[in-house]
Amino acid sequence: MNHPASRVVPRAAAAAATTILLQISGAAFVYAILSAEEGWQVVALLGLLGFGFYLLERLPWINDVVVALLARVPVVTTATAAVIVLGFPFLVGSNTYILHLLIVAQLYAVLALALNFQLGSANIPNFATGASYGIGAYVSALLAVNFNVSFWLTLPVAALAATLFGFVIGIPCMRTRDTYLALVTIAFAVVVHQLLNNFEWTGGPNGLVGIPAPTLFGHSFADPIEVFGWTLPSQANFYYLAAAVVIIAVITARRLHESHIGLAWNALRADEMAAKAQGINVAWYKVLAFAVDAFLAAFAGTIYAFYVSYISPDNFTFLVSVTIMTMVIVGGMDNIFGVIVGAFLLTILPEKLRAFSDYRLLIFGVIVIGFLMIRPEGLFPQRLRHYGVER
Amino acid sequence: MTELLLQQAINWITLGSIYALLALGFSLIFGVLNVIHFSHGDVAMTAPFIALAGAQALAAVLGAAAPAWLALAVIAAVFAVGLIGVVLDKAVIRRFRDAPAMMALVATVALGIVIRELIRHLYPQGSNPHAFPRLIGGVAFDVAGVPVSWFALAVVGLTALLVGLLFGFLHLTPIGLRIRAASQDRVVARMMGISDGRVFRATFLMASSIGAVAGLLFASYAGVTRFDFGVMAGLIGFSAAVIGGLGSMPGAIVGGLIIAGIEVLAQTFVPEGASYRLVFVFMLVIAVLIFRPAGLLGRTILEKV
Amino acid sequence: MSALLAVENVTMRFGGLVALDNITFFMEKGSVLAVIGPNGAGKSTLFNVVTGVYRPTAGRVKFDGVDITGMPTHEVVRRGVARTFQSSRLFRDLSVLDNVIVGMHTRASAGVLDVLFRPAVARRELATAVEKAEALLRESSGPLYEQRYRPAGTLAQADRRRLEIARALASQPKLILLDEPSAGMDDAETDALVADIERLRAQHPELSVILIEHDMRVVEAFPEHVMCIDYGRLIAGGRFEAVRANPHVQEAYLGTAAADA
Ligand SMILES: Nc1ncnc2c1ncn2[C@@H]1O[C@H](COP(=O)(O)OP(=O)(O)OP(=O)(O)O)[C@@H](O)[C@H]1O
Ligand SMILES: [Mg+2]
Repeated sequence: MNHPASRVVPRAAAAAATTILLQISGAAFVYAILSAEEGWQVVALLGLLGFGFYLLERLPWINDVVVALLARVPVVTTATAAVIVLGFPFLVGSNTYILHLLIVAQLYAVLALALNFQLGSANIPNFATGASYGIGAYVSALLAVNFNVSFWLTLPVAALAATLFGFVIGIPCMRTRDTYLALVTIAFAVVVHQLLNNFEWTGGPNGLVGIPAPTLFGHSFADPIEVFGWTLPSQANFYYLAAAVVIIAVITARRLHESHIGLAWNALRADEMAAKAQGINVAWYKVLAFAVDAFLAAFAGTIYAFYVSYISPDNFTFLVSVTIMTMVIVGGMDNIFGVIVGAFLLTILPEKLRAFSDYRLLIFGVIVIGFLMIRPEGLFPQRLRHYGVER
Repeated sequence: MTELLLQQAINWITLGSIYALLALGFSLIFGVLNVIHFSHGDVAMTAPFIALAGAQALAAVLGAAAPAWLALAVIAAVFAVGLIGVVLDKAVIRRFRDAPAMMALVATVALGIVIRELIRHLYPQGSNPHAFPRLIGGVAFDVAGVPVSWFALAVVGLTALLVGLLFGFLHLTPIGLRIRAASQDRVVARMMGISDGRVFRATFLMASSIGAVAGLLFASYAGVTRFDFGVMAGLIGFSAAVIGGLGSMPGAIVGGLIIAGIEVLAQTFVPEGASYRLVFVFMLVIAVLIFRPAGLLGRTILEKV
Repeated sequence: MSALLAVENVTMRFGGLVALDNITFFMEKGSVLAVIGPNGAGKSTLFNVVTGVYRPTAGRVKFDGVDITGMPTHEVVRRGVARTFQSSRLFRDLSVLDNVIVGMHTRASAGVLDVLFRPAVARRELATAVEKAEALLRESSGPLYEQRYRPAGTLAQADRRRLEIARALASQPKLILLDEPSAGMDDAETDALVADIERLRAQHPELSVILIEHDMRVVEAFPEHVMCIDYGRLIAGGRFEAVRANPHVQEAYLGTAAADA
């Protein structure tokens, strides 16, 4: 393509400065929208956001330039991101509501990244991510409540259990496609929800209570963090934990995306028959997508359970799966950054629409439909892979 | 024991008929548009609310609640819901005809949310359950000591009538033939220029009004209606249509009967079966799709390469 | 010496339609076989049966001494059969380069765990794949290399055909099946295609090729082994001149071609 970006190779110093500035303004925007109290502030910020997306739409090269800039100085980019993520709770201070929103948004980001393997990379309509999320939460909570197992041990066990579940859903999905496959996942989601709701040992509709806070080196996650004379509220513990899982999810997603596995998923998304003709075992790759999805979703589930210390089947309904799906679609399928933006946007937006609290679901539904009709490729459409230095 | 069995058989046929009517709509729409209209259940469940509102309005205007008003309102609701279906198709669903299956699914799930929320906000105290009268009361006759209600007879009779009418319409009228052609071979249908607005309109009008009948019967069977009944109605109707084989009308009926059968069996023979009935239903759905990925009566077509 | 490909008494029915009727033929390593026949004769179906897309109603297919009848497609491909499709089926939203890299899928050895926990290994493997893919694109007669970062769906018709061939070659097959590779190409492009196939054979004397072709100029270029299918039956086989002279073939195929022209 012949836009300026492909020719301009920015100088390192300039690139570093722009990168830092860009990320800081991004963080500032997130902070502003999170702390906006008045209706007009929210509307103004959303207007700004809308304008930003409008600019991106009209001048798509901006996107390429930014990506090129960030890739030019990867160390600076990563360092800035790390500082921002680490420092955010200090900026927020004692405002636990903001921290809470950030934790939830990050957990949804993990879930959306998990689902993205299927929905984005492989175009498998999976309505059971909410169920995997629930299985992760319940397995770890049950272990902790009944057997006093430490959080750090329940994490891998829950992930393993959910991965197994992922394989189990994956098997009937090997032979089915599109609508039929969607129904299989819906059926699994309903079955899991109904079982959680009916078993005695899962607490039935009342769920499980009293999930103990994790501890790390003697520090309980229920206690505030004290560093350098600063005191961060106890939510900060979970904020950092969730951030760590987001990072794990991003690394997983990137490694898979930039390998022949990601390519195989993309191939079967584009044309299943042609993918088979390249020697791709389509059935196995579908199952693999289910397994990876369930694995990451279980991480999110475990953290959620220990964070709120109370879970019930209604946290893991079919509607949760739909919400996660919407995040992937709105953000941009098969685009890691886009998916994270989608998760944050759709977690924070409904909260900010509290002014219309009674109409939130209605507005949500209308926005989703409108989005699918007007911009089905999402805010940040998928990008072609580029190899080597030359772009 | 025989009494129990007989009683349950009557329940099964009644419920199965209602499910079959719901499934028919899913199958019809999928056949023509190749799109799953996930909110079809929600559309169907607007009917009882429209009927209740209509009856109240008539009573308010003409004075004194009378059964006749309800009957009138019920008939009006069937037509109104048919029109709602047509409008939704034009406004939303048709646009996803060529999109990936998943887009249409998510869009219609969202549409379902919108419909439910609209019921909740527009109907007075829409969040609460509302009693819905038995449209037809009384016992018709006894079989071996088990009373057979007029209602059960009416449900079965009405279902048979509607299926017969639908069958006649699809096989005897020109537009019905075009609907069938469109659902049997999409490529041919496109080439013949069949996929025009009239086929869509007719399909949605029929599917939605049949759904409305199912919604009214269901509310009447349960004695109550709620804004979120559509979720389960949709899931069950969709599952019935898929088990039977999407696009196949006999399949939809078979699917409806099977699902109702499992539900009734679970309730009758399994301890605490009532609370696990959905588990059984959806396990069955999974099992059917493992062994017959295209449904029981669906044709597995080899993709032409 | 046993044949590389042996198709024995293969019959394929779709409902009442007999698309392949008791077809038998053998193919030696390093040879080129051209398959001709009128529209709907069953040529593509033959490819689909060989590559495991369809399971034949009766009969057997052996490749390299192994019975591959009804084996899943990806297994057949793994054993060294590559193919193109008549209505080119590229991964439209992937780049040209990625299409070829996907074609190397059977050559990738890094598993999921390698990708996740030994990224350096996986990255090195992918880098090698990129290099090989670029080399394949450079060798093609069309301007594929220059367009390697374009979505494959935006290529011109002839380039799509070439890319499909490059993608099929990427798996380093022993047998490559080309379904009407010259469809949609003009004369110059068709000549370049013939030259491409000839060069390929020179580079890989072991490679066997089956071509489905309607363009007689391509068939003429590879005249040793030609077979003609009509209504699912193998009606003639042998050298091009002999097959062309066969009255059944003239009636079935050249007749309609002449009528078309
Ligand atoms: N999946 C299928 N289901 C039903 N019939 C099929 C299928 N695939 C092929 N056929 C039929 O089998 C016959 C042979 O088709 P095939 O595609 O093999 O012909 P062909 O020789 O490749 O013709 P062409 O030159 O037009 O490509 C045709 O009548 C076709 O309609
Ligand atoms: Mg062909």
